[in-house]
Amino acid sequence: MAANWAERISAFSRRPSGFLSGTTAEAFLAELLRELRDDRATYSVKILLLSPLCEHPTLLCCSDSVGEETALELMSVFAQCPPKSVQFRCHLLLALTSVLICTSCVKSHSRASLDFLDVLLQIAQDTSDIHTDGSQRPLRAIACECLRELEACCPGLLSQRLELLGGLWQQETSRLHQAYAELYTLVLRNAIYQLTQETGAGAEHLKALLGGNTSAAWEADQESGLASSKDSAILSSLILGPMGTVPTLHTGPDCKELRSVLSTLLDESYLLTPLCQATLLRRLTEVVAMVPGVPPAIFRTHLLRLLGTSEVSLLHATLLLKCAFTDSLFSSEDEAFILKRLVVLSQHLLLSTPEKLFYMDCILHFPENRPISCGDGDETLPVLLTPQLASALVPTVFNDSATLLARFNMLSLVYLEEGEEGQGGQGLAYLYEHLSSLLSMVENGCGRELVVTFFRAAFLFLYYFCHVERYSNDLTKQLCQLYLNHTKLAPHFINLADQTQDRLSESSWSVGLLKALQRVITEAPLTQLTSHDLSRHLKMLARVAEEGEIIQQSTLTFLSSIITPSSSSLCTGGDWRLGNEILRVCRHLLVHPSLDSLLTPLADVLQLLVCHYADMEIQDHARLYYTLLTTLSREKLAGVLAQGMEEGGRQDKKQSLSCLIGEGLTSTLTIQQTERAVFRLIEAPPEPRAGDINSNEVQKGPEEASASMEAYRDQFSDSSFASEITLQYQLVHINSHDSHFDQLFSIRLHFSLTDHHYEELGDISVPCLLRERPSAIVQLTLKPRKPYPTSLHASAIFTSPDGHTWHTTLPDIHVAFQQTFLPLPVPSNWGRGGTLSVFEGLWDEICSESGDSAMSLFCCQLKEAALNTLVEKHFLPFLISDASHKEEFKVLFFLPPRSHILLKVSSEEDAVHFNIATDNWELLSHINSYLLKITSLQEDTLS
Amino acid sequence: MTVRGLWIISHENGGNLSIRFSRRFSTVEHRAKSLAGSSYVAVPEESTFLQLLLTELGLSDSGKNYVALRDDCLYRPRSPALELHVDGPAKGILWPVLTVSQGPLILACLPLVDVPPDPRPPLASLLSVSQGLTLLAGLQTFLLGSGSKPDSEGLGSRLAMVPSVLLQVCPLGTPLDVPLPGTPATPTAPTSVGTQKQPAWKTGLHRGRAVVNIGLIETVRSMQYGNRSRQDLWDVYGTVTCKCEVEGVLPNVTVTLSLPPNGSPLQDILVHPCVTSLDSSILTASSVDNYDGSAFSGPYKFPFSPPLEPFRLCSYTSEVPVPPILGSYQLKEEENQLRVSVTLKLHESIKNSFEFCNAHLPFFNRDQMGVVDMKVSSGQLDVSKEKNLLVWVLGQKFPKSREVTMEGKINFSGPTPGPSDPLCTKLTAYVKLHFKVPDMTLSGCYVDQHSVQVYSSAKPRIVTSRELQSKEYYIWNSTGTAPVSSGQMMM
Repeated sequence: MAANWAERISAFSRRPSGFLSGTTAEAFLAELLRELRDDRATYSVKILLLSPLCEHPTLLCCSDSVGEETALELMSVFAQCPPKSVQFRCHLLLALTSVLICTSCVKSHSRASLDFLDVLLQIAQDTSDIHTDGSQRPLRAIACECLRELEACCPGLLSQRLELLGGLWQQETSRLHQAYAELYTLVLRNAIYQLTQETGAGAEHLKALLGGNTSAAWEADQESGLASSKDSAILSSLILGPMGTVPTLHTGPDCKELRSVLSTLLDESYLLTPLCQATLLRRLTEVVAMVPGVPPAIFRTHLLRLLGTSEVSLLHATLLLKCAFTDSLFSSEDEAFILKRLVVLSQHLLLSTPEKLFYMDCILHFPENRPISCGDGDETLPVLLTPQLASALVPTVFNDSATLLARFNMLSLVYLEEGEEGQGGQGLAYLYEHLSSLLSMVENGCGRELVVTFFRAAFLFLYYFCHVERYSNDLTKQLCQLYLNHTKLAPHFINLADQTQDRLSESSWSVGLLKALQRVITEAPLTQLTSHDLSRHLKMLARVAEEGEIIQQSTLTFLSSIITPSSSSLCTGGDWRLGNEILRVCRHLLVHPSLDSLLTPLADVLQLLVCHYADMEIQDHARLYYTLLTTLSREKLAGVLAQGMEEGGRQDKKQSLSCLIGEGLTSTLTIQQTERAVFRLIEAPPEPRAGDINSNEVQKGPEEASASMEAYRDQFSDSSFASEITLQYQLVHINSHDSHFDQLFSIRLHFSLTDHHYEELGDISVPCLLRERPSAIVQLTLKPRKPYPTSLHASAIFTSPDGHTWHTTLPDIHVAFQQTFLPLPVPSNWGRGGTLSVFEGLWDEICSESGDSAMSLFCCQLKEAALNTLVEKHFLPFLISDASHKEEFKVLFFLPPRSHILLKVSSEEDAVHFNIATDNWELLSHINSYLLKITSLQEDTLS
Repeated sequence: MTVRGLWIISHENGGNLSIRFSRRFSTVEHRAKSLAGSSYVAVPEESTFLQLLLTELGLSDSGKNYVALRDDCLYRPRSPALELHVDGPAKGILWPVLTVSQGPLILACLPLVDVPPDPRPPLASLLSVSQGLTLLAGLQTFLLGSGSKPDSEGLGSRLAMVPSVLLQVCPLGTPLDVPLPGTPATPTAPTSVGTQKQPAWKTGLHRGRAVVNIGLIETVRSMQYGNRSRQDLWDVYGTVTCKCEVEGVLPNVTVTLSLPPNGSPLQDILVHPCVTSLDSSILTASSVDNYDGSAFSGPYKFPFSPPLEPFRLCSYTSEVPVPPILGSYQLKEEENQLRVSVTLKLHESIKNSFEFCNAHLPFFNRDQMGVVDMKVSSGQLDVSKEKNLLVWVLGQKFPKSREVTMEGKINFSGPTPGPSDPLCTKLTAYVKLHFKVPDMTLSGCYVDQHSVQVYSSAKPRIVTSRELQSKEYYIWNSTGTAPVSSGQMMM
């Protein structure tokens, strides 16, 4: 079990989120607390169990109330734990502190936190073991540390206990006095800070604070002070340098008590470890800064010891002292001495590299007595740092990378300030010589770290001295040579070019370097070129091609020479990667400002790739570029390619085509879906039907009825005869106010069936749909298998004016039964007689046949006039009998492919009779509902 | 003045770097959150932290030639404080991450920024930075021991002790002390109940015979070019190490360093924090200053109260007029062979009695040595063909003439290439001297046994010693280009 816990706890601390995803925080916390109460568990395991609570209390205690409960649990564990388990009790105190602080219980003065505070204060005061074995001393030390942390996180918490803590500190003679001293100074500092926030607080209050005899009135003030100091200002360091303002407490010169406390603390600081001395010094610095009544000279007797120290934190605390009090504590001689000291320490053999680097940082942020700049955090050279002094810090090849660069930077600043004459010039010459020796080490094939260091040093040099042409030009020359010998450094070169271009926008050094690199690459003999070299050259040239100022002819000549089949085997090799790298160069050339002059050679190169490169994909891409180059105008080409390039930027490592269609073009080339329907199809108003039968009266059909039937039937030997119905629709905008879609182009309508009664429909194209123009007419040709009413799904793809392609769904199109009606398909030269004889023939057949045929009768109440109107309105195109012959109307609906519905409509006494005959009985229900509909409509309109 | 977290990273058995120990200080994190406000960046989980740290240290993707994140030329590793670029939902820059590394070990901590975070404050304004560095250095010494070669077994057992060590030195993220090297201090016997407070840095009290041991070691470095255009360089620094076994809570000891009558003053003196007071004249001389003939030249008194363990009382540098051994090294490239000529001359002021004195002549970027035809006027020559190295063992004494020579030819016809070095190409080559001279210092500085004062009841036994040793003592081939090693030569 113990081993299991060790594993689980380490899994938790390695990855709390992952661990808790397998369980819940509540469950894990409950488990931990249960195990902590378990007597069988050993203390070493229990100590382990506390670590999640110490390190991640807020993950386990999700709310303040859980924190409070957990703390109460831990306190009861603490109360039950035998005193001899000192280690476990120490860890319990730490866990309690973590839980209570992090869940804000302390801030809200919760019960548990007040109880805990009492426990801690009790432990801190319990010196009963002093005459025995001192075994409880670690517990007391930890209790003090917990109190200090509580005060640090909730400043002012212990202000009322200042006198008690002071007493404990003064009485303690064991090593523990350090813990009390640290606690006391922090509480003192916070209490004084709070006093500075009180209006009218002064010497009396300070005296009262130190004496502990606080008056009731002042206590009330204190409470309000606590409440108002919620902001983090009190947590922040108060050593702000000459430009900051520290809150002050005006006491007048009379603050003997404080002065004596501070003197004792300072005198005894020697007894503290260097780390605690440094903390104490900083706290006291803050106190003295807040109370002008205490002169900073109080520190003076300790300065020499501090300035001579080998301890970094002590010297640092002294620098902070200087930062806070400047010339009220340090003379200008002191200042010069400290600076020299820092220079010495920055290169001292006995110090570690991080310490030396830290001291160099201190030089660049030196707290001068009279600073010239406002100290906004930038690196500035102290006035006293002469080139002579700084020369102790020149970089050498024996330095490690970090030191080398830090020195390079500092010396660059020094020589920049000196100018190019005299010492500055000499120094600059030295720096350049140093850079050259680094370069030659890179040339000689040093390790990666040194390579990176060289390029960083080169960047620093250029950053400061780019304008000194004799060096920057020479550097370009040397770099080119380096590149030719070490092409694998290409990414470093590109990075250097990029960064110098970005950071030194007014300088053209970067372009110069690229130009020079282009020259050496294109002029070098091709014979010894390995494919690795070539790949790096192409990367380089692609970067070069990004520069509009650089003429690209030589690049193209180079490209052409490496892919010309006669001079190189590159094409026949058909390396996909190299091919892409060539294309990448080409892509940059396609958008190069001087494209006009590159047109022919670039086209030639692309053509060569298309024809000879032994990789299909490369050929295709090259073809695409070729097409783009030869068909698009320059602006369009730039537009198409620029999107991909802009977004990819320089860093883009994508291969050419994927880049072209990726990124910005995605939206152009992918089809987007409209949120709602944009337009729909509505039935067009019927045109006047051609072929009005009456006009053909003179013409005759076959003489005999049987002959007419035969002729009629013969027509159907052609299966496509009269098999289609054509419906007219209007494409109209749906009335929404999305102006984005006011003008639509290249609309392609697509229909799909909802049943099997019709043949599939073809797509229909509509050139444009403009809101302000008349709507477009769409002819829908349906080829029924069975002439039933149906619905069609419709969708469309179209282009909006911004060039985007959209897909949209239209409302369904309903094809009504009557829309499938056609007039009797007889030759147009047949007169009424012919059609009539077909009608009679069909009628007779239907009457005599059974099978699919059927007869039916539909009756309704209609006045004569109403009937006439109905016939005129609905049946006219299908009327076989003479319209004037009103006793009986003969109507024939032909329904493709082969169905007929024949009506004999006559007014009888009681009602109008619709005698129906059809050769497809399945249509009866449809005709029935159709008739019902039109007759009821007629009734409505008349009534 | 506090750290938010602490990480110990080392190579696993396989060689991969992994986090061997980590500790987050939740209460400090709580403060960090309220101090940083909107610019707060949480500490990422272990694996992310490790990955980001290794990238910043340039240790990630060691197989790759160029990684943009790692190798960008714009980035200057502002060690000791690194930036970790945290990605994901808690995006931001974690700063300042302090690291120290030595051998197989990388230690890192994240100090609390207790000044307004925007704009980024200078490191110098954060006391927690120097304290964090001290803590890391202390942990490093604890984990690796004093020996330069760390053993993985010892490291493992010491790593296991880190939690209990932290309970003493940094229980809640505020470093209180550095761990004592070696075994963690056991609770010491109860101390006297006098009124004198026991120093917090003193783990217990000495009982028994009083012994004061003072060792003075001077180290000399040199770069000799044998070239008129380039000034030869040498410098000397000394350290005084003490082990004081003296009774009492706060016993007083004074050690005095003295110089011979015409000795040049000790410079750049740094003292241990147990030194109680210093005279200002002791600190005035500095190696970066122009030499002022009127400078104070001793005696240098260091009153202190010693801790129990051995400690470095003080260190200094000194400007001596001549290097102890002046050398010249000349190489001449002849057909298929190298003609070598070395002369070493011991200065007359140096005691001709070495503990050892060896000259190493490595040859880089060449094939292995074939025929070595060398003659030495004194001592003996060892040839290590594998390492392409000649070791000239000069023994304990130079001859009466105080001058030794080595002449001859080397043929680099070995079957395999020898070791390579980016610096030492072509005729850029050096002789490196390793020597130690007991009972002498170059500066002449000494600790007079009788000047050591111990204010304690029993008369202590006082032992003093001194020695001179070399370090980075190079004699460059004067016929080749030698690297510049210091800026002092140009001014």
